[in-house]
Amino acid sequence: MIKILFFGRLSDISETLTCALPHGVSTINALSNWLGEENAALGEALSAKGNRIAKNQQIVAIDASISDGDEIAFMSPLSGG
Amino acid sequence: MSDPFEPEQLAKSFRDMAGDIGAIASFAGYVRGEAGAVEGLRLNHYPGMTEAEIERMIETALSRWNITDCHITHRVGDMKVGEAIVYVAAASAHRRDAFQAVDFMMDYLKSEAPFWKQELGPTGAVWIEPREQDKTDIARWDKGLT
Repeated sequence: MIKILFFGRLSDISETLTCALPHGVSTINALSNWLGEENAALGEALSAKGNRIAKNQQIVAIDASISDGDEIAFMSPLSGG
Repeated sequence: MSDPFEPEQLAKSFRDMAGDIGAIASFAGYVRGEAGAVEGLRLNHYPGMTEAEIERMIETALSRWNITDCHITHRVGDMKVGEAIVYVAAASAHRRDAFQAVDFMMDYLKSEAPFWKQELGPTGAVWIEPREQDKTDIARWDKGLT
């Protein structure tokens, strides 16, 4: 199973998902494409400029690998302070 | 933290803890009312990651400037106009390092720490994303400007 979290604007579009690692998905980029096929609005939002991705709470690039048990977070641009 | 805090109390605790130092610089940020357009702010975070990222930032500040201690308190959840959002302080022997460490930590919190902000107003909640100025501000530190 993998856990997929969404933060900021993206959290308006999808709740946290817990699911089996989709067949054939081995990178975060592939996971993002798979999410876009399931939910077009989410796919569009995930491709927006300035989003960041964390794997197991560490910032990673979109081509990072993904495996069973990972926690993936898709994050809208950050805005604290 | 999700409960309101008083920057003045944190300042006193930080001063008491800092011991024999020559300088403390600090910054407190508050929720702006924007002449009635804003009723409050909602700050979301990524529990676990946000705390770890702030720890990492504190380590960076401690290694980069000659400061003896630093402090960050950041609210999460819903807050009202006039309440404090963030308090940052640094202690050092001389002023320059303390000023720069606080400036760096605030720029980092604005654009690199996992927080997401919504303005709460008469028309509901509106997401606030970093301004261009916030991105320019954080880029200064990558260029080694100290």
